[in-house]
This record gives sequence, C-alpha cells and structure tokens, in this order.
Amino acid sequence: MKLLPSRERGEHFQGSAAFRLSRKIRVKLLKRSSLQQLHCMLTAIESIKTSFFRSFSRTFCSVRRGSCLPSLVPICLIAWSPNLSLLSAAPPAAGIEEETETRSGPPKKPHDQQLVELGSQIYKQSCQRCHGKSGQGSKDHYERALVGDLSLGSLTKLIGRTMPEEDPDACVGDDAAAVAAYIHASFYSEAARVRNRPPRVALSRLTGQQLRQSIADLYGHFNKPPATSDQRGVKASYYNGTSRKSEELRIDRIDRVIDFDFGAEPPGEGIDPKSYLIHWEGSLKVDRTGRYQIVLRSTCSCMMDFGGRNRELIDNHVQSEGRDEFRRDIYLTAGRAYPFEISFLQRKRKTKQPPARISLAWIPPGGNESLIPTQNLIPEQLADSFPLQAKLPPDDRSYGYDRGTSVSRQWDESTTVTAIEFAEIVIAELYSKYRHRYRNEADDNRSVLRRFIAEIVAVAFRGKLDDAARQLYVDRPITLSEDDGDAIRRAMLLALKSPRFLYPMLDAHHNRSQRTANRLTLVMFDSLPSDSWIVNSAAKDKLQNEAQLTNAARRMVDDYRTQAKVLTFLNEWLGIQTTDEIIKDKERFPEFDANTVQDLKRSMDRFLQDLMESETSDFRQLMQADWCYTTKRLEQYYGAAWRSQTPETPPTTKLETDASQASNTKASNGVIETTLTRSVQNREIHAGVLTHPLIMSHLAYHRTTSPIHRGVFLTRRTLGRVLRPPDASFTPLSPDLHPELTTRERVQLQTGEINCQSCHQQINSLGFALEQFDATGRFRRKEKNKQINAAGSYTQRNGKRVEFNGARELADYLTQSEDCHRAFVESAFEHFVKQPIAAYGTETADEITESFKESGYNIRELLVTIAVIASRQPPDQ
Amino acid sequence: MSPQKSRRDFIRNLGISGAAANLVLALPSLGWDVEGQKKQRVIFVFSPNGVIPKHFWPDEEGETFELKRILEPLAPYKDQLLTLRGIDNRIKGDGDGHMRGIGCLLTGVELFPGDVQGGSDTPAGWSMGISIDQHLKNQLQTDVATRTRFGSLEFGVMVPDRADTWTRWSYAGPNQPVAPISDPYQMFNKLYGNIQNRVMLASVLDDLSEDFKKIEKMVSSEDRQIFQQHVDLVRAVELELKSELQQAKDKQAADSTPAPTDHAVPQLPPNVQEQNDNMPLISRMQTDLMVNSLMSDFTRVATMQITNSVGNPRMRWLDIDEGHHTISHEPDSNEDAYEQLIKINTWYSEQVAYMAKKLKETPEPGGDGNMLDHTTIIWTNELGKGNSHTRNSIPFVMVGGGLGFKTGRSLNFGNQPHNRLLLSINEAMGHPEKTFGNPDYCGDGPLTGLT
Repeated sequence: MKLLPSRERGEHFQGSAAFRLSRKIRVKLLKRSSLQQLHCMLTAIESIKTSFFRSFSRTFCSVRRGSCLPSLVPICLIAWSPNLSLLSAAPPAAGIEEETETRSGPPKKPHDQQLVELGSQIYKQSCQRCHGKSGQGSKDHYERALVGDLSLGSLTKLIGRTMPEEDPDACVGDDAAAVAAYIHASFYSEAARVRNRPPRVALSRLTGQQLRQSIADLYGHFNKPPATSDQRGVKASYYNGTSRKSEELRIDRIDRVIDFDFGAEPPGEGIDPKSYLIHWEGSLKVDRTGRYQIVLRSTCSCMMDFGGRNRELIDNHVQSEGRDEFRRDIYLTAGRAYPFEISFLQRKRKTKQPPARISLAWIPPGGNESLIPTQNLIPEQLADSFPLQAKLPPDDRSYGYDRGTSVSRQWDESTTVTAIEFAEIVIAELYSKYRHRYRNEADDNRSVLRRFIAEIVAVAFRGKLDDAARQLYVDRPITLSEDDGDAIRRAMLLALKSPRFLYPMLDAHHNRSQRTANRLTLVMFDSLPSDSWIVNSAAKDKLQNEAQLTNAARRMVDDYRTQAKVLTFLNEWLGIQTTDEIIKDKERFPEFDANTVQDLKRSMDRFLQDLMESETSDFRQLMQADWCYTTKRLEQYYGAAWRSQTPETPPTTKLETDASQASNTKASNGVIETTLTRSVQNREIHAGVLTHPLIMSHLAYHRTTSPIHRGVFLTRRTLGRVLRPPDASFTPLSPDLHPELTTRERVQLQTGEINCQSCHQQINSLGFALEQFDATGRFRRKEKNKQINAAGSYTQRNGKRVEFNGARELADYLTQSEDCHRAFVESAFEHFVKQPIAAYGTETADEITESFKESGYNIRELLVTIAVIASRQPPDQ
Repeated sequence: MSPQKSRRDFIRNLGISGAAANLVLALPSLGWDVEGQKKQRVIFVFSPNGVIPKHFWPDEEGETFELKRILEPLAPYKDQLLTLRGIDNRIKGDGDGHMRGIGCLLTGVELFPGDVQGGSDTPAGWSMGISIDQHLKNQLQTDVATRTRFGSLEFGVMVPDRADTWTRWSYAGPNQPVAPISDPYQMFNKLYGNIQNRVMLASVLDDLSEDFKKIEKMVSSEDRQIFQQHVDLVRAVELELKSELQQAKDKQAADSTPAPTDHAVPQLPPNVQEQNDNMPLISRMQTDLMVNSLMSDFTRVATMQITNSVGNPRMRWLDIDEGHHTISHEPDSNEDAYEQLIKINTWYSEQVAYMAKKLKETPEPGGDGNMLDHTTIIWTNELGKGNSHTRNSIPFVMVGGGLGFKTGRSLNFGNQPHNRLLLSINEAMGHPEKTFGNPDYCGDGPLTGLT
C-alpha cells in the first residue's frame, strides 16, 4: 500500500476527528428526530423550488433536479390519486381499495432520509476536499468524477473497504452506508445525474397524436388545404323523383341536423311523397381524437360516403324491410373536418311503401348516443381527409404532457401498422388521382410514380430530399417492385419508419426557414408542414425573421387543428381530459345521470371553443364569465340560474343557427337532441369554468364534496404551486361516522394534525371557498341544515395572505393573480411545445407572462408568442 | 371386422406400398384421410343468365352419357362429374326472376319486401335467411377439427361495385349480404397481406439500417440514448423477422406442408385493372388465389361469383361485342345469339374446368390423392334458361369428390325443389339438418340417389 506523506496523513486524521464528531451530531439528530423536524426538512426540500412534485404522476416516473427520493415517500390517496373519477365513483364509507397503508399515528422520519443527511455531513467533512463539492473531482487530488453504476449496496461496501484512502477504517458500517446513500442519491447514480442536468430541449420522436396528425396532413398535402367555415348545419337538396335532375330540385336549404319523420307525407311542397330523393352534404367537425360510432337510421334506401368522395361508409342502396339501422365504428382525429354525403330515396313501387324516416346520430368518445349536433356539422364538403385507424400506444405523461422520449416494441409495431394502413389509402386514392391527373404525360421509366413517391416522401421528411435519400426512399422501392402498389407499400414502410420522419427535430441539414416551419407546425398542429403556403415559404426560405414567423403563427392560430389542440390543452389544464364517467349516489342525486354529464361536457366544450374563437380570447373570462351554456335538461337539474337567456329570440353567437328550432326535441328516431343556449347571468353561481358542474362534480366524492380535491386542483393547476405528497395515505373519514358534521368540519377534523397542516392549511382554505357547490356542482346554501361557510384564504408566493368568501371572490382573486397567470402560461407552453419551458431560457416564463398581461390576457396571442419562441432557429451556418 | 381407419390402412391390408397403390389400382378417393377424418371442401361457382339446355344437359341418364358442347371442357373430369337436372328454384314472393334467381339460390328462402324494382314482379330487398356457404362456415368453425383461418372466402369476377339484390348471393343471415371480393389484389392482401408485409418489413429494416447510422451523426451526445435504443430495437425486430421467415421456410422444406411464407404466396401479374377485357385474366388470378388458399387450409368453403345476376360482360375475347344479358333475351330462333350463348356458357364451363384442373394437379396436402378428390365444385346459375327466365332445372353441375357423392353420372330428378339439394350438401358435409331455407320446400328431406 502506498503511504501518504505525513502532512496529508495528519489532515486526514483531523478529518477523522471531525468525522467522529459527526457521529455525535448524528446521535443528537436521531434523538431530536421529531415531526416538526421532519416537516422543516421536507419544507426545506420544497423550498428548493423543485418542480418535481408539480404533478402526482411525476413522482413515480421522473427524476428531476432537487427531488428527494420519491419512492420512499408514501402517498396519500385522498388528494393525490391521478384518477379522481375512480374515487368519486366509490362510496367513501367503503374506503379506498388502492390505498397502500393506513395509520393513525404521526409518521416517522424516513430512515433513508436521515442517512442521506448524515452522509452529506460526512462527505463535506471528509470527502469533499478530494472529490469536489458535488463529486466532480479536484485537480490536485482526484480528477475523475464520482459517477458510476454500482448499486447502493456495492457502493457502501466499496467505501467501507477503501475510503478515506489514507484511513479506510475511519468510515465503515453505518457511516459508509450514509456516505454511499448521499452520493448515490446526489450525483453518483445515473438517476441522480439525469436529475441534475439543466432543463434542455430533448430529442423526441413523434408522439401518438403527432403521428396521427402528421399522417392526416401527409394525405391532405395532395388535396386542397383544410379549410374552416363559420356556417353550421347540413346542406340539403330535396328532389321530386329519385334522380338529381336540377329541374326537379324543389327545396335547397340548410338543415340544422338530420332527423326527419316524413311518414307517408311529402317532405316538402311540390314533391311526390311516393317518389323522392333527398341529398345531404356537409362535413363532420371533430374536436376530440378517439373512437366514434356513426349511427344512421333510415327506413328507405340510403347511402353514405364519409371522409372522402366515393369513400363509402354505408351502402343501403337496397331498402329491405327490417334493415334500418347502420352503425359504423371509426377512429377520428381532432381538428379535422370529414366531408360526407347522404342520399335518401323513397322509391315508387307496386307494393306498400314504408313510412320514410331518417336520422344521423353518433356516439362520441366516452359519450352517449345523440343526434350529431349542429355545432359539429358544416354545410359544405371540405377537403377529403384520412382518419388513421391504427391503434397507437399511449405516450409518457409523467411530466404532465405527452412526450416522445422513449421507444418500445409496441410503439415500433404501431409505426409499422400505421405505414401499412396509410400505404393502402395512398394507393387507392392519392396515387390513382395523381395518375389520372398526369394520364397524358409520357411515363418513361415509371416517371409519374417516381415523382409521386418523391413528393410524398419529401413532405414526410419535412424538407427537400438529397440524392442519397432519393435513391434509398424513392428509386429503390420502384426498382424492387414491379407492381406500382407494391412499390408504394415499400416506399411508405421505408419512409414512415425512417428516423427522418419519426424525429421531427433531426433536421439540421435543412435551411433555416424549413426548420422553423417544421417547429411551427409541430407546435401549432402537432403535425408537419404540408399546406402549400408553408411548404412554399420554407422552400423559398421566407421564414427568417421574427415578423415572418409571427405572421405565419397568426395564420395558423385559427385553424381547426390549433383549435382542437387548444381544447385538449384547456381540458388538460382543468384536469377533465379523461373524465369519461362521473357517477354519483343514485339515492342522493337521482336525476344526475350520464345524459347530464354529456350535456355538461358539451356545455364546457362550447364555452371553451367560443372563448377561443372570440375576438379577445380573454383568459380572465375562464373565471369571470357569469353565465354558461345550458340545455333544458341542465336547467331542470341545476335550477333558475341555468335558464336559457334567450329562449324565444335568436341566440347571440354566430354559431347558433335557426332559433325557432332551438329547443329540445324528442326525435322521430328516439334519439334525444339537446340544443345549447346561453344561460341567464348570475355572478354568484357562475364563475366561469371554476364553478362549472363538470369540474365541481369531478372534484367530489360519490355523495359529498371534496374540499381537498378542489383545493389541490386550485393549488397545483390554477396557481401552479408545488405540493409534496403527504407522508402517508389516509382514508377519508366516513360522513356516516360523523353525521352531525358538515364536510368542512369533517375535513378540518381529519387534517387538523400539526403535520398535516403545513400543506392542508393551504389546500383546505382554497377548497372551502367552493363549498357552496355540492357533489354534482349544484349551488347550495346549507349543508345539514347549517349555513355553508365558504370563507377561504391563500398565501401567495410573495408571502402575502389574501382572503375571500365564496366562489365569486375566489374567481376575482384568481383573475388578477400573477401566480395564476404564470401557471397558465407554463402549462400552455409545455402542452404546445412538449418541452420544459426553462429549456428555452430561464427568463422565458417571466417574459411570456409579461407579454400575456400586455396583450390583455389574449390566449390566441399567447399561443402565437409560444409558437414563435419555440420555433426560432439560428441562421444557417 | 373393425372398420378400416384410413386409406393407408386399407392399402397396407392389401399388401402393397402406398406409392404403388395409385398406379396399380388407380384408386379414387375412398373417403379416408390420414387422420381418419377426411378433409372436405366445397366451392360454389356462379354464372349468370341461364344456359342453352339443349347444349348443356346430357341426353342420357346414368353412368353412360355424352357431354354436350357447353360441358365439353369438363370432359377430362368426367368420372368425377355429376350433372343434376330437374332441380327447381321454387322460391316465390317479392322480387323479379333474376333477383330471386340469385338471392334465393344459396338461401332457399324468400326476399324481404323492399324497394329494388326489377323488370317485372314486385320490388324486393335482401334475403330473409342465411346462405348455405355461410351456414357451412358457421358449422365448420364451431369444431376445432374443421376450423380454419377464414371459415369461408367469397371471390368475385367482375362483380359490379354496387350492393343490390342482383349482385349478392351469399348471406351471413337475414338482411346481411356478404360482398364478394372482385379485386384480386384486395383478395391477395386479405390472404397474404400480413405475411407479405412481414417479408417486406424485413427487407425494409435492412435498407433503413444504413440511414439510421447517417442520421445518428446529427444526434447530440445527450440524446444518443433514445436514438440508440431505437436502433437496437429496429435491429432486434429485423433479426427476429429474418429468423421467423427462415424457420417457416425450413419447416416448409422439411414437411412439404405449405407454411405461411413467401413461398406459399402465389405470384400475381402486376397492375391488372378491373376492366371488362381483363375478365379472363382476373378469373385465372382469382382461381389461382382460391386454390392456393384451399391448399393452405385458410378455408374449406369458398364461393366464386362470376359477374352477377343479369351480368352483362362483353366477351370480346370470343369475338362477341354485345353483353351477355342482352343476348340472353333473344329468342332461340335468333341463330347468331343462340350460338353466342353456347359459346359464352362454354367459356364459363372452361373457368370451372380450369379450377378443376388446378385442384387435380395439386397433391392433397397431408393427405392422399389430389385436392379435387377432397373438393366438390358446384357450378350453378340464377336461371334455367335465359330468354324464358325459368327457374326450373337450374344448372347444377358438380365436379370432384369433396362431398363423397357417387360421381361419373348424369341424373335427372324431375322437378324437385332445390332446398332438398341444399339439405343434401349439408348432410354430405357432416351437418345434417331437417330443413334449410323455407321448410315448405324441404318436406322429403335430402335428395336420394346421390351417394
């Protein structure tokens, strides 16, 4: 063994003395271990301002800077379950099945945490001089960084045996374990290193949604670009006789919905009831991605094309008794309008004719069957659109937004299935049209096919093809396949499984404008540049300066694709994206059923969409609006504040059509139609989305409200504050055990412990302000015959405490709260860009929040700002 | 004496080798198979607009008979042939003769009231019942021993791209017409798409590996990890695919059972459009695909619908420019038309003969004899005669030994309802029923004298 010079040895002895001293500290620490200390400690960790605990799910999967050991912290399911609907569906008295542990006593300080703390002190005193403050090493003593992949156990043994180098006996046993625990958690392990990395833009593959949208635009590239329309309804042409002769056209109008029972009567003046044809055409506007069922009921001959001209969905050319209902399942993509047309024929015959009836309904994802609402119908056939049917695995959401930062076998297979499915539609529709268009051109060396494949691959790869890429992705498949269809199949499989398509940011070889366009479309549409204007701007390198970029972003912000993305974002921000089912106690809330929930969802979606389409798209209206969209059913359940504002006169928004028909009608085909109208104003009961029953019932139990759920929602999502998970899991106290207590009193009773109060002080005080809204979101003044106490408070980041009483005052506070604005900006940025905001500069969040404020909290302007910041590219080298 | 279990046992008892047996004894299929259970297949072939009976039906009955012009192409299979005269489609109710001709042919039941108006009679909708091919499929699929990948396959040749009573003969149930697949490439995809795609994927991944390396250079060191994972994944999938395909090839080479590899996949001529003049080629392609899928045991029941009821192909390859249906309305006194109709029907007969030829040339996989020994082709028609629209004496011609009927005969049943024949087919396939379709026409049960 190499002997150290005496001086150094001496120093080490000194170190050892300090080391021994530290043991005394340790004993002291252990003796003093108390709850308060635990809280101080955890609060200290929190004060690092880690964003680690921002979302519950993050605690499991992600490793970020400044976190303590997440897996060691038990979880309280009362407020931390990511799936609230699960909780609200289960009666609280029955307890919670997922609960991991229940204890009544105060939790103990986790042993490992003590160890890390102790290890940190030992490290500072005895190791830091050679290994550096965070294990980075030091020039004079030990240059290499303390990183590796030894397990904690092996590391402990190694330290116990060899360290400190000059006196290995000085640090053994518990001390070695403590040092190992500290360095392993702080900088040694891979997890720790990832955690310590500064936020940066990470390489991502396309997420599921991005893949779906990219495929849709790849298809769309060969059509007219997707358009939007302010009109709603279906274009209808009624003919006398069963052919579409212009001289026999009797009625030409826009129908709000398709739902008719003509019986044996003529469908209009001048039409023979024995022989007529009605032709409807329009587009189905889809706001959410998911599985839909289209339900066409018709007692007469009918045909329906959907998605594209001549893409047949329902063929009932032959009317045959008893065959009058047609259901088709189809996966549709948000932000797309699918053109369709329906022909309905009553044919003259010798035999008895059936009474003529037809209706067009759907079952949207997670919804009930209803007539396709006017809102989702556009009275013209927009460009053909291709909905990918392949099932794509869900993406990682541990940061609160979809991220394409991992690859799996399942994902890889789904890209294959996608390519194969897409190839077939390319062959059947795009290529046959393309070939037809160039039918008079000479086709030497299969040049038409070659040009076609080259064009589609270039769009897929978001930029011009170089010679090598052209050779591999265009020429080779053609050489290998004699059949044109096979050549296309091979080319699509190659292109859509290529990293050039799957990794949108690996585009350093393209010019600056192209790179900018690639990011712009990814941020705004979750897609690739395929509309001709942006393809051309990129090709001509006209997306260089800030003004060009801003103009392009503005042009995209009103597109259906962006609108759909905004709607998804707002739903996520409100935590209701996956709320498929809200079930309440049947005895207590007998009229609150699946139809009520469906109406609430439509009411919410419509409110959010209207807000986004309005001139100012003012964020503050999210909390401030003193009205909401209502239906007859909602009015019946929620009472006078939900009365329609204008039941007799035409509605005020541009989207509402013929008001004379705007009432709930029992449809001829048994499907209920509900029309959304604006409710009367009421400042106490309506505070924008905050008091919307969809949110209130989601954040509640089966029978009672949950101020804790509501408080956590307000703290984390609305105010963007960090909450650590609780020390243990708790079962909520059963209301039956405390029949005399109000919900507020019961929650206070359970969270009154000093160790609960550090968080629940904040959580409860926010949640209590919404106590006037029961478990279904119905306004109430009393609970158990006691007046509801809706007083609440909040301590801001800057330490100032504010007080409010009831939802309206809370809403007024939130509307002007800087914490709230910033939280919204950060959420929006991360949802749209799918990268951490800090990766775009430490000041970025502040800057965007400031410009958001200056724009009058205009959400559309916010999106433009976000898109511009995330898409800016350095000039070409 | 215990019954002999298989053909092999039978031959062994005779004291000669299996290989010599065929040569020495010229044995027909005796209804045995290696596993003791004979594999049975049935194919229904449709051609439209009736025939010219005089040049279709043999004059004689029994085992000694002369083939007329139209059936002449089937001469090589005469000993496996059965002509069934005197079987009538008696189904009444809604729909004109053509509609009931095709819509009740395999179902034996009436059409629903509806709005499709033919040239005469009342309008009608779809069939009120299941067709025999789909019924057999359901029966076979419930038994593990007879279950196959598809259960049934519905081929079409130049069936128009519209769904109406004239274009459908197969029904999965009341009001549930089954659309035939007329595009050979579409059928190919259905049969072999997955395998083809896997073969293609293996070669595509190989091509991509170079490009992955090129792209990797653009990836920063911090991001290498995800990219490297992806590269490893692609490589693993590629290797697995290659070994899977190799194993399948080896297996095929070893035991000569068709394995789902590229070798078992038939080659189709490229870029054939569905156009009138391509009809002979499409018919060949579809037949090849059908025989191939039967060989691979993808199904044991198949239908081949050549055009449709009132089908109107212009057989320019026979120098006939007018459409078949148009010609079929001509009176017998129109000699040109009469001759053309014989030619047209002879062409359909040739399609059946080609199918029989392909089956006969293919050794029975895992069994004895050839595939025709285990398959019965039932060629039929919507009408007995075109210009009279009669549905009496519907053409029913069987080729092959699948149903175990006594072949090499010309039979005349003298006006029996065709439901009884459908019952006979069910019985021969091992699933006897009391009735099929409208029970009123099933009174006396299956036909007698077929076995």
